[in-house]
Amino acid sequence: MRRLINRQPDVVVRFGLMLIPFIAVVIAYMIASEARLSANPNDKLLPGWSTIAAAIERMAFLPDQRTGSYLLLQDTISSLTRLGIGVAVATLIGGIFGVLQGLIPYFRATFSAFTGVLSMIPPLAVLPILFIVFGLGELAKVVLVAVGIAPFIIRDLALRTEEIPHEEIIKAQTLGASTWQIILRIVVPQMLPRLIDGVRLSLGAAWLFLIAAEAIASDSGLGYRIFLMRRYLAMDVILPYVAWITLLAFTLDFALRLFQRIAFRWMYRGN
Amino acid sequence: MTSFRLSSLRTFAAALVATALAFTALSPAHAEAKKDFKVGWSIYVGWMPWGYAMDHGIVKKWADKYDINIELVQFNDYIEGINQFTAGAYDGVMATNMDALAIPSAGGVDSTILVIGDYSDGNDAIILKGKDKLEDIKGQKVNLVELSVSHYVLARALENIGMSEKDVTVVNTSDADMIAAYATPDVTAMVTWNPMVAEILKEKDAYNVYDSKKLPGEIQDSLVVNTQTMKDNPAFAKAMTGIWYETMALMSGGDAAAEAAKAAMGEASGTDLAGYEEQLAATKMFYTPEGYIGFTEGNLAELTQFVSKFLFDHGLLGQDATSPDYIGIELADGTVVGNADNVLLRYTTEYAKMAAEGKL
Amino acid sequence: MTRVTVENVWKVYGDQTVLESVHLEIEPGSFIALVGPSGCGKSTFLRMMLGDEAPSRGRILLDGVELDAEPSPDRGVVFQKYSVFPHLTALQNVMLGLEFAASPVMARLFGKAKRKAKTEALDMLNCVGLGHAVRKYPSELSGGMQQRLAIAQALIKKPKILLLDEPFGALDPGIRAEVHEILLRLWREEGMTVFMVTHDLSEAFKLGTRVIAFDRVRTRPEEMKAYGATVTFDLKVDGKSVPPRPELREQLAAAAQ
Repeated sequence: MRRLINRQPDVVVRFGLMLIPFIAVVIAYMIASEARLSANPNDKLLPGWSTIAAAIERMAFLPDQRTGSYLLLQDTISSLTRLGIGVAVATLIGGIFGVLQGLIPYFRATFSAFTGVLSMIPPLAVLPILFIVFGLGELAKVVLVAVGIAPFIIRDLALRTEEIPHEEIIKAQTLGASTWQIILRIVVPQMLPRLIDGVRLSLGAAWLFLIAAEAIASDSGLGYRIFLMRRYLAMDVILPYVAWITLLAFTLDFALRLFQRIAFRWMYRGN
Repeated sequence: MTSFRLSSLRTFAAALVATALAFTALSPAHAEAKKDFKVGWSIYVGWMPWGYAMDHGIVKKWADKYDINIELVQFNDYIEGINQFTAGAYDGVMATNMDALAIPSAGGVDSTILVIGDYSDGNDAIILKGKDKLEDIKGQKVNLVELSVSHYVLARALENIGMSEKDVTVVNTSDADMIAAYATPDVTAMVTWNPMVAEILKEKDAYNVYDSKKLPGEIQDSLVVNTQTMKDNPAFAKAMTGIWYETMALMSGGDAAAEAAKAAMGEASGTDLAGYEEQLAATKMFYTPEGYIGFTEGNLAELTQFVSKFLFDHGLLGQDATSPDYIGIELADGTVVGNADNVLLRYTTEYAKMAAEGKL
Repeated sequence: MTRVTVENVWKVYGDQTVLESVHLEIEPGSFIALVGPSGCGKSTFLRMMLGDEAPSRGRILLDGVELDAEPSPDRGVVFQKYSVFPHLTALQNVMLGLEFAASPVMARLFGKAKRKAKTEALDMLNCVGLGHAVRKYPSELSGGMQQRLAIAQALIKKPKILLLDEPFGALDPGIRAEVHEILLRLWREEGMTVFMVTHDLSEAFKLGTRVIAFDRVRTRPEEMKAYGATVTFDLKVDGKSVPPRPELREQLAAAAQ
């Protein structure tokens, strides 16, 4: 009998094992839902499939009676726009500050402790300040997402920049490079794929901040809808929305990974 | 390999059972005679007496008298308490009549309003920044908790001046952030409730253009219990009613004890005696069982219809609802407003009458 | 042709003396092999030559002028690892030095200037036998090819001094010999002064015109901190030597055969 750590499942078994937890959750949901619905046919906590399907049709494929727009589409566009701008701003700030902080000792001495402290502040705790400064509109939501994840991206990228072998920086200098040229040709091109890693890692937090921002003050968005529906426990809408957010997040992550592979072939060649 | 497949099948089965067990925790509470009861409440001027009763032994006294255990649990999030009640985790909850109808009743949970503690008599208000007439709200963005009592107040106010929700843009805003929201320049209109209203009206440019004084009795703050639980456990209903009216008697006594009780309630809600008195002034309390009984004998039928219509218009009576009458509401005298075959919200004065007659 | 003068150089980290009283006079066009046991300060000496570190005392002169306190294009370098840039192809790696010089802001060349730089870089790549691999990324090259690329990349700047820090330590013997030949040829052609740190004595004698050994003179444990290593052996490979330590002389003599 070989040790457990040395036993490898084959492709078929691996696929089956992968499905088990998903199937288990679905079946368990069905059992529990059935039990609740038999006690109370109008139960909202664990709605049946037909109720969920009807809710999906209503939200995604039928225009809303009051506004005439497709709610799921509208919510998705609102949320992705906010998320996209927020993450883009955070990436830009993170990229610039991270590289400078990782590369330039004077910059590091000035900002390292500050970004370290900044990243420890829970952004949700200073919301009133964000409101007063940035208003209650779209800007505040984008800022919350950006402020929420930028410190992490800065710190992550600064660490990655510091990990560039010292030899490379010396070599570039012996080739006559100025600080600016080193940043432009040596550091930034190597940090872009790392930056994508950092962004991928912070996407989960970005969604969290987005949904929190939408829960606080909004008139559309995926987080807005979930918190509104929660007011009357409409799990038939909330569950598909949660699944949709998960799918969006997964797709975004996958797209970033794909982009990284295509745009930065040098990382994957040869090894 | 075969044995591995078999063992993974067994693992699968075990995982399935474990998950199913976890979900069974979500099963609805089965109504039957029992001893332990949980009731949710949240901070609000009309519900502070419950917290006071819990802290000062009144709850325990009445629970002991009926040989049961009652736990009052404070929810920081009002809606979460109602959701827990709807899901069956709680036996009772403090809620407005509107939320009781929209959440547990529309969710198929037969619920009973055991006691109405008060109705809002100015606690909910529409506030405009720099404008002093309700008509000025036209075209503005209005910050409020969507689908809440505030939304209802707005709808009723607009109806009264011949406008509708189409004339404004509603922006859903968390109640916890209302005061901060008002301070931002782009917020110009707001509907909210006390203590936020009192706080915001301290601003020079804030005008109260409409409040719940104009909607007397429509927004009732109540103790809502699961109907089946109440029927199976009269002791629970008796104890809760007893607790309430003992606390009410203490609070309305006009003596030093009453002052001390109100000061404690004010403090627990984050203000002081003066601030609490100010909120009480905007609240029509039913200090006696007779007050509540008298209220239910008034135009309650008409009042409930306003609420049903609002909820129906906003799709809150469920997708199957075809009219505002979809859910039947049984009044204290047994008459049913709306669909008699689908009664899911009931008013009862049975226990209040016992209290009035001193039979508790 | 560059003359290097090392005047009484010391290197101290905190209370740890690494190098002490190093005096050297290097003839232009020499190929200096620096040898010695691990931790003897030969790499520290190379880093000071590079400008990556400054001497704690004393000074290093190039043609009578004190060295810049930071790396500059008059001193090229090849390390054992990380000498080339992983995100650039072989051609881009070699062109980089030309682009830095000609384009201060963009650090990139376009059009005619780019074609000229490309021709020059391709010549250099052919010189080191990488003409067939110009479009490959370093991760696609073998260890020997990577080091040849690093040499080409450094030499395109025509440095006065080439510094090599155990450049062939990780290579197989056969490949090592191949790279030795290329290096010797380029050294003769370019007329530069080479400093090479190695722990392989036969390599030192094969390539160097002069072999310099660093070692600690005082090795009692209580003396280890206060006293650093210094030049203990300085041998012109054509025969002249001043050996202060007999056991090392035997070692070197054995290796020389």
